[in-house]
Amino acid sequence: MSQIISRKTIEQLIGKLQSEGGHAAAPVAAGKRYFFRPLQKAEQLVLDGKIMPVNSVKEFFFPPHEVICRYQYEGKELQITDAEPFEKEQIIFGARPCDAASLPILDKIFAWDYQDRFYQQRRENTTVVTLACQQPDNSCFCTSVGLSPDTTSGADAELLELGNDLYEVRCYTEKGKKLFEGLTEESVKTGKTAAPPEIRFDMERVSKYLSEHFDDSIYSTTSLRCVGCGACTYICPTCHCFDIVDEGGAAKGCRVKNWDTCQFAMFTLHASGHNPRGEQAVRQRNRVQHKFAIYPSKFGAVLCTGCGNCTRECSASLGIRPVLELIDKKAES
Amino acid sequence: MPQQEKLQQKAKEILLEKKADVVIGYGKVETGNIGAVFITDPERTGELVWNNLCTTNLSVYLKRKEIKKLGKPCIIVKGCDAKALAVLEIENQIDRSAMTVIGVECFGVQDRCEPQYKCASCNVQLPPHCDFVIERDTKQSAPQGSRYEKLEMLDNMDSKERFEYWKQELSRCIKCYACRQNCPMCYCDVCVVDKNRPIRIDTSATLKGNFAWNILRAFHLAGRCVGCGACSAACPAGIDLDLLNLTLAKASEENFGYIAGVQRNVEPLVGTFSPDDKEEFIR
Repeated sequence: MSQIISRKTIEQLIGKLQSEGGHAAAPVAAGKRYFFRPLQKAEQLVLDGKIMPVNSVKEFFFPPHEVICRYQYEGKELQITDAEPFEKEQIIFGARPCDAASLPILDKIFAWDYQDRFYQQRRENTTVVTLACQQPDNSCFCTSVGLSPDTTSGADAELLELGNDLYEVRCYTEKGKKLFEGLTEESVKTGKTAAPPEIRFDMERVSKYLSEHFDDSIYSTTSLRCVGCGACTYICPTCHCFDIVDEGGAAKGCRVKNWDTCQFAMFTLHASGHNPRGEQAVRQRNRVQHKFAIYPSKFGAVLCTGCGNCTRECSASLGIRPVLELIDKKAES
Repeated sequence: MPQQEKLQQKAKEILLEKKADVVIGYGKVETGNIGAVFITDPERTGELVWNNLCTTNLSVYLKRKEIKKLGKPCIIVKGCDAKALAVLEIENQIDRSAMTVIGVECFGVQDRCEPQYKCASCNVQLPPHCDFVIERDTKQSAPQGSRYEKLEMLDNMDSKERFEYWKQELSRCIKCYACRQNCPMCYCDVCVVDKNRPIRIDTSATLKGNFAWNILRAFHLAGRCVGCGACSAACPAGIDLDLLNLTLAKASEENFGYIAGVQRNVEPLVGTFSPDDKEEFIR
């Protein structure tokens, strides 16, 4: 027997959460595209396993901008006040399984040499409900990095479409069970997940090649059409670079943590003017190496879930997948 | 002969005659989509593609140091892209004598499976200011739309509604700078938003920082934006940045009779002084 829930009950659940001061986030439509956004009203929620929201749910754990502390001079006395971590309860509905799979990957980063209480607090306060993938597109490559459309990594619970605004609910953690407790009904219906997309490259071979060929010449051609924006990294579920900046005046202001990216020309620019990553090719190498050689050497997994966001949204039709395919071909020969 | 074939032949000729070292054109890339290709071998010009999916403005690559290293360029442009070259030329950013420009006759391109906005009012099917123009055998009638039609939506709002609209839209901006990087006119060595001694524009992707960045960029494009739409097409947040640039383009046209990119031998609108200027503060 399976457990099922109606869209109406989900909307009521969101309404209740919001009335208690909690936050809900889900894919919502903006123009002709979909984005994970905080829900203003429960009706905005789009639960469709065929859509590919542009951004990643990582921003509800690691927001693009976060105040760390505030400072103020009172006469000659400097007062520094720590910013409080986010304490509200948060539920994310409709995360793609490949997007949620990034969370256990990011957990390792934000609890490695430094315990990032901002990220950790949000993780504790948040329940992640995924929606089963119904239709991988041309950019998808989850199967190439060892995942698949039915991956449950990072999900507290999963919804599977049954049609007529009904969903099968599968709970994977205590958080998930608690969220749907008493809201589901028993049924004989079960939901389905999409067939896995084709495997595009051999991840093991790519990782091995990368760890043995740091200074490969391939990037000078694969990076040519990159225009050097940061879109791929900002919508990537696993990219997690940030910059620490002071905002405000000398007398009063705050210290903030803002997203940063290895794809900008400013990345690693030294005060002297020298930049060891001064060209797009080595910046692309940085991204590929970090994801498929450096992170694996530290944490034993790749820093990529194959969601395809970077390739899908790249204005130059690039993203990371074509680069990995070319590296794989080179490694094979 | 099909237009694409004529284009390939012309590109081959230019490489063989050593008029250029690299052809910056469109091709089918690994993702199966159309992207920029950089062809240096005359035998590979058959990889050049020309169809209505050739949406990106290739003139953006002229500013990239990685592309400059490939040598003397031959660039393939649509009418709208050719206008961008005209602006780059009058702003002394490119040396037309050191490059070859092939224009391709164009009857509209697609952006995410839809005709791009600019194409509905395009008046440059045959690209201007080119060294060679590759025509199509079968012609289509020129579109009759108005360039500023899209602005009506904003004009019909009062200032409070307009502010709400922009608040909603710009709240999605993540400061990835895809707009800047895809804009042929954004060629500054160090963009003002990257200046950090002191910081002039908040780097934060907050509403304040996002308004500051997007409005600043729009102002820097006043009288310069040719309306190629590359910024809107590239924006992963789906913000219609065209609207900001068109507003200023309209102001340039209405107040100064200036349309960027139409003429090659004019002074830039912003950056020239005339004793007839109506504003007093400049005297």
